[in-house]
Amino acid sequence: MSQFDVLFEPLKINNLTIRNRIVSTAHAEVYATDGGMTTDRYVKYYEEKAQGGCGLCICGGSSVVSIDSPQSWWSSVNLSTDRIIPHFQNLADAVHKHGGKIMIQISHMGRRSRWDGENWPNLMSPSGIREPVHRATCKVIEEEEIWRVVGDFAQAARRAKEGGLDGVELSAVHQHLIDQFWSPRVNKRTDQWGGSFENRMRFGMEVLKAVRAEVGRDFVVGMRITGDEFHPDGLNHENMKEIAAYYNATGELDFFGVVGSGCDTHNTLANVIPNMSYPPEPFLHLAAGIKEVVDVPVIHAQNIKDPNQAKRIIEAGYVDFVGMTRAHIADPHIIAKIKNDQVDQIRQCVGANYCIDRQYQGLDVLCIQNAATSREYMGLPHIIEKTTGPIRKVVVVGGGPGGLESARVAAERGHEVILLERAEELGGQITLASKAPQRDQIAGITRWLAMELERLGVDVRLGIEANEALINELQPDVCVIATGGRPFIDQNSEWGAEEGLVVSSWDILSGKVEPGKNVLIYDTICEFSGLSAADYLSAKGSLVEIVTDDIKPGVGIGGTTFPTYYRSLYEKEVIMTSDFLLEKVYREGDNLVAVLENEYTGQREERVVDQVVVENGTRPNEELYYGLKEASRNKGQINNEALFDIKPQPVLSESGDGMILWRLGDCVSQRNVHAAMYDALRLCKDL
Amino acid sequence: MSFEWLNPLLIATALLLAVIGAVRRVKLWRAGQPDQIDLVAGLMAMPGRYLHDLHDIVERDKYMSKTHAATGGGFVLSALLIMLVHLLGIDSQLLAWALLASLTLMFVGALFVFKRRLNPPSRISKGPWMRLPKSLLAFAGGFFVLTLPAAGVLSDGFMAQTSGVLLTLVLTALIIWGMGELFFGMTWGGPMKHAFAGALHLAFHRRQERFGGGRSTGLKPVDLSLATEVGGVLGVAKPTDFKWNQLLGFDACVQCGKCEAVCPAFAAGQPLNPKKLIQDMVVGLAGGSDAKYAGSPYPGKEVGHAQGGPDQIITQGLLDPETLWSCTTCRACVEECPMMIEHVDAIVDMRRFLTMEKGSTPNKGAEVLDNIIATDNPNGYAPASRTHWAADQNLPLMKEVREAEVLFWVSDGAFDMRSQRILRAFVKLLKAAKVDFAVLGDEELDSGDVARRLGDDATFQNLAKRNLAVLSQYKFSTIVTTDPHAFHCLRNEYNDFGSDALEGVEVFHHTTFLNSLVQQGRLQLDPFVGGKVTYHDPCYLGRYNGEYEAPRELLRSMGIEVAEMERSGFRSRCCGGGGGAPVTDIPGERRIADMRMEDANETGAELIAVGCQQCTAMLEGVVEPRPQVKDIAEILVGQLVDPTAKGLAKEVH
Repeated sequence: MSQFDVLFEPLKINNLTIRNRIVSTAHAEVYATDGGMTTDRYVKYYEEKAQGGCGLCICGGSSVVSIDSPQSWWSSVNLSTDRIIPHFQNLADAVHKHGGKIMIQISHMGRRSRWDGENWPNLMSPSGIREPVHRATCKVIEEEEIWRVVGDFAQAARRAKEGGLDGVELSAVHQHLIDQFWSPRVNKRTDQWGGSFENRMRFGMEVLKAVRAEVGRDFVVGMRITGDEFHPDGLNHENMKEIAAYYNATGELDFFGVVGSGCDTHNTLANVIPNMSYPPEPFLHLAAGIKEVVDVPVIHAQNIKDPNQAKRIIEAGYVDFVGMTRAHIADPHIIAKIKNDQVDQIRQCVGANYCIDRQYQGLDVLCIQNAATSREYMGLPHIIEKTTGPIRKVVVVGGGPGGLESARVAAERGHEVILLERAEELGGQITLASKAPQRDQIAGITRWLAMELERLGVDVRLGIEANEALINELQPDVCVIATGGRPFIDQNSEWGAEEGLVVSSWDILSGKVEPGKNVLIYDTICEFSGLSAADYLSAKGSLVEIVTDDIKPGVGIGGTTFPTYYRSLYEKEVIMTSDFLLEKVYREGDNLVAVLENEYTGQREERVVDQVVVENGTRPNEELYYGLKEASRNKGQINNEALFDIKPQPVLSESGDGMILWRLGDCVSQRNVHAAMYDALRLCKDL
Repeated sequence: MSFEWLNPLLIATALLLAVIGAVRRVKLWRAGQPDQIDLVAGLMAMPGRYLHDLHDIVERDKYMSKTHAATGGGFVLSALLIMLVHLLGIDSQLLAWALLASLTLMFVGALFVFKRRLNPPSRISKGPWMRLPKSLLAFAGGFFVLTLPAAGVLSDGFMAQTSGVLLTLVLTALIIWGMGELFFGMTWGGPMKHAFAGALHLAFHRRQERFGGGRSTGLKPVDLSLATEVGGVLGVAKPTDFKWNQLLGFDACVQCGKCEAVCPAFAAGQPLNPKKLIQDMVVGLAGGSDAKYAGSPYPGKEVGHAQGGPDQIITQGLLDPETLWSCTTCRACVEECPMMIEHVDAIVDMRRFLTMEKGSTPNKGAEVLDNIIATDNPNGYAPASRTHWAADQNLPLMKEVREAEVLFWVSDGAFDMRSQRILRAFVKLLKAAKVDFAVLGDEELDSGDVARRLGDDATFQNLAKRNLAVLSQYKFSTIVTTDPHAFHCLRNEYNDFGSDALEGVEVFHHTTFLNSLVQQGRLQLDPFVGGKVTYHDPCYLGRYNGEYEAPRELLRSMGIEVAEMERSGFRSRCCGGGGGAPVTDIPGERRIADMRMEDANETGAELIAVGCQQCTAMLEGVVEPRPQVKDIAEILVGQLVDPTAKGLAKEVH
């Protein structure tokens, strides 16, 4: 008897019984090493999900079937060689022994790649039209190449089967080769591979036929498609229903995965992995539409993060399986926690999209708030065991993400933990970040940590400014300094911070300073803070210009999030100006004059405004650290060799006088939430 | 010696009146339904049963045991000797001295009875029972003095010579009082009725198997053919619908209130007091009202308004149905009763009438029965979802393997997410020990436990027969289940339906089975590190099946020293989850589970080890903060040594 029973109703795909309705859908992990092999890190990442109860993992988003579809840019899985088979066996065994099932997405990415590396291939697409997101030019694929790729798909499917995986998912989504043939937007061919509906469908059909002929009817073969490309000249929802029904009618497909939106422009790409600015399950209706016309199970992911939401979707019958992929990246034990009646302990994805935004830069997928994800192979735990060593008194100073994570991990280890926070609420800079329009969900990181601290009985003291005397009075065995930073708006004295001519983005977001009418934001950082301040101010009615000396405002923000900022900023007529330095600010009557200088020409411009906001990052709050450092046993030093190796800090097993003192997060140097939480986890897990 | 004819006459009269009383009492009992009992064998066995079975229970209270041995033994011996010495007038100093000795013994015993009655605990009935020690003293004292001359201590003429009429009158009054209470009262009705009815109850007990250390806890099946007979009634509507020996059993009650003291429903302030219930049955069988009842009432109900007679419907005036539905069938009362009365049988018999004839199962009870009938499980889950929990467990199905050493009876925990953790833990352990086992999968049905306890024996029998038909298709030597309720049904209640499906099959609770695996070295365990652990005995494992030791031995094998609750073992307090009580949900002042949690809290335990999914659910339903609750299988999995796959062994979600 549980409200979530419906999620735990097993369902068959072909002859394969999936133990529940939750799927980790295909995403590019960027973990396949050794030329695209599913090595230790890859296996452990999926094993953790299976151990956590996930029903079906579809791994390897955009895993390539051919050598001319490059894999190295995103360290994706390489199915173009038999060398992969034993690696698949390791992967399959690791998942199967926990009762999970695992399939892999296979694809030829066509024009959606880069040619300037690896084997330096000519990229291929139906009509040789350039792909804008990757700035990828390509050739027109020839008949011989088409048949070769069809054969490569079949061989790749055979390798998956021989490797013991439970099935393959053909990618016909995200503008890969199959859906490049489908879409009249990029398929302008006039031969048998283009033009009419049947002709555009032909490549995908030949792939399906060849794969089926190779693996037989009992092996699971599914297809992931878009529900609507959202391009006027692309495939709309009705087209997609027609396509789905057409493939379904072959009786050769065992499931459909449906994703809303195409993604060959920056703006549509942002839809595919909806960040925190989107409502829950924004494209479920598209998946439900596909379900209407097919008679095999339909899987849908996209902003489904909560078990109640998943339950509601399954119960209403919109789709058969819900993808909770980022939800699993944030907490691979989400299913176990639902089953164990620990729903409150689920670390919920907040849609920060740190994971996917790293992936688009070719960096390994990491979770902003769960540093253990994909580091299982290094020995970083998702479930922290109690220590068998001495119980220590741990004092954490600072209630930002680094401090909170330190306190959580130390408390999970069974230590006596006190957390001191100067402000009246926990969260540190996350609290500020959550004040911007469409960014409120980032506060979920704090919410979970605060709930865990409460569950673990951490003594949280708010409104307490720690000083040396207080720390010494508390007599901790270990003191973690995570006091964060403060806005660095006085780097250039000409800006006039001391005279009060400029304010910080913190002043704006915290509400400490009223928004001006006519505001210039000078942003050297080009990440979330500057655009958030611009969005916040323009939402309050300010006229805003955001100026940066960098290439463009928000250039440091990843590919799935800068578009949602831009949508909002352009709509509110925020002016975005690049390549200008802020030289000085001076007062003229009731107004402020900001003097800007072009980075490349030295030409000066002035802006007359009533408020200048400077976003220039932070300087560390390190006074307390230096005050405690001398008397501490380890002089505040962290052994990097042990830290990077995920080994216990040697000082923990050495005797000596004084407390152990560590500092982490922005009070060392400005980095980000993940960096602070990673250090907190790897330092405190061995406490 | 003008009155020397008087004493034999008085004795003879008392005895005659006792015979008249006995005839009347026997007639009342005989109004009940026939039951197959070997009367002679029962009578022959009775003294032995008194000295062993009954005495073993009384012996739990040493004070009472010694007091009763002295008083009762002294009285029985005295009564025999009085007949020889005073009725038949056998002139023997030896007999007289023996009589003096036995009367002394009785007198001393009676003094202790008297002492106890000075400040009696609340569970003991007052009223006529307060008179009993005095009557005993009068009897013993009166006859003592009367016997002195026969013993040669005083001359024969002493009475007449010295004190004359007055002493004679006093002594006569004393023995009339004494014999009135002890001879006539014994059979006609009065506190001493317990001796007469109690002795016969031991002889003709409906559960003859209970004696000689046996255990008989399975409910007797209802003869469903009665439903089609003219005048036939399913269950007990009127006192005369009870078997005659059940009526006899009610009369054996000594109103000691041991049942009341252990009844969880009574403690929770629900309208049930097992002692009062039995006394109401006595009122019913003899006719009258409960006005003279001098014990604790049903909580929240006033005494004096209950009226009944042998042929009157019990629940119309004598007993509120709520009283019957408050019972958790935990058998604490039966276990504690020194007269071996079967309260639970009586309650379920009356529930059977309410459910099967009246259709008046209260609150969620009716819905649960409808569910069981429609879906073969109490919560009305789709029958096909019975194996959903095991989708990733790769369990061998009997339907496919046909034969296995062990049949794992999954029970309805299969539908419940919390219980599924217990099931998965147990599967992990079976696999770790490489046990050859299989499950019935969707072929398994609800065991029928809840239906039966709610009085729907028709549904129980239907489920039992269908389950037996499935079981009879397969070969296995052992059934193991994690559910003590199913365990009880399979082990004790499925044998009444003429199936050979369970012939030669041993039925085990999982703790017993796991314990044997551990003792054989088939499961290797790491020592448990963690806080204090207490163990809660499930009623259907403990009192119903006598398994107290295996769970404890299992815990000990992990190095756990159980911090025992005051109420543990055969005196364990119910969690409140048995007998359909959670669905009939009769309001009280407190929840039984809360009280049980207080018991656990008193031990300072951080973890309550349990062996029943129902207990787990009830105890986990208590608001936090409270100790954790885990089935022993779950604790074991946490300690499993599995060198081949670290971590894998402990994964039970």
